[in-house]
Amino acid sequence: MNAVFPVIFLAAALLCLIRDPALFLPALLEGGQKAAVLSLSLLASYCVWLGFFQVLEESGLERGLGRLMRRPLARLLGTRDEKSLSAAARNLTANLLGLPGASAPAAIEATQRMMQTGNRRAAHLLFVLNCAGLQLLPTTVIALRTAAGAASPADIALPTLLSSLCCAAVGVLIVAPGARKS
Amino acid sequence: MSAALLLPLLFLCVFAVALFRRVKIYDCFVAGAKRAVPLLVSLFPYLAAVLMLAELFECSGLAALAARALAPLLSAIGIPTEIAPLLLIKPFSGSGSLALLSRILSEYGADSYIARCACVCYGASDTVFYLSAIYFAGTQRKGLLLPVAAALAGQFTATVVGCLLCKWL
Repeated sequence: MNAVFPVIFLAAALLCLIRDPALFLPALLEGGQKAAVLSLSLLASYCVWLGFFQVLEESGLERGLGRLMRRPLARLLGTRDEKSLSAAARNLTANLLGLPGASAPAAIEATQRMMQTGNRRAAHLLFVLNCAGLQLLPTTVIALRTAAGAASPADIALPTLLSSLCCAAVGVLIVAPGARKS
Repeated sequence: MSAALLLPLLFLCVFAVALFRRVKIYDCFVAGAKRAVPLLVSLFPYLAAVLMLAELFECSGLAALAARALAPLLSAIGIPTEIAPLLLIKPFSGSGSLALLSRILSEYGADSYIARCACVCYGASDTVFYLSAIYFAGTQRKGLLLPVAAALAGQFTATVVGCLLCKWL
């Protein structure tokens, strides 16, 4: 981000200067305002899901879910750390079910934990997997297509899932060769 | 729809099991929800920075310019050039790209090839820069270049594959 941010920012600012300098500040403020509005709605959904997760954890159900996904996940991420694995399992499950409000806090928890325990490779792999937008049913897009009057709104589900898998595979193949523990 | 049914069922099952195991559900729920506030406070500056960048990227016309520059390359590999702005905004902002997607749907018709490609490309990748900002907020971000590049490469592959699949399926 330290490389990308200044490059795009400077290029955009320069373009503003040439075209219409009055656009500059309103654009920044608009971005800030969107962040403020978005964080309010994120707060609402994080409250719901973090509360739910806590109940899930204390009821012992999470251990069951974790056990189901632990083997393949431990294999892929190359970590045995209980906390990272259960957070990662929650994150990927939420992704598949299409619950962004639930998947983000779990991913953040898993990433922070992996970085703390020094397993940077696992954090990077989880990030790449999340970037593929893996989802069983792209509900947002289907809703949008229904609203736009598509003949069969869900017919993009299969190509979306297949392309998602390609995206994940490419990401994992690039990141995975990194040192097991560094 | 089944998706709408899933959520209440999920909550119902989990809370029922919790009740059965004598978990204090209310205390527990509140304890979890409490963590949302510090989480969001730590995320907010990153969120603001990325969204400001996204806004500036679009408003300044840089996105349109980059889209035009990329157009010949995209059409050479079979990607409709109309979706170029969507591809460029997607890594930064979910809401921004969703707005673009709905504009494409209404402009070209939901069943057009362009709109179907746009839908697949939208669904087959996530907001790379945004996610990298919030996941790694506050941690050491050294060495993030490779995963970000990998994710973008993945997005590009998904776009190419998605547009191909839209032609066949």
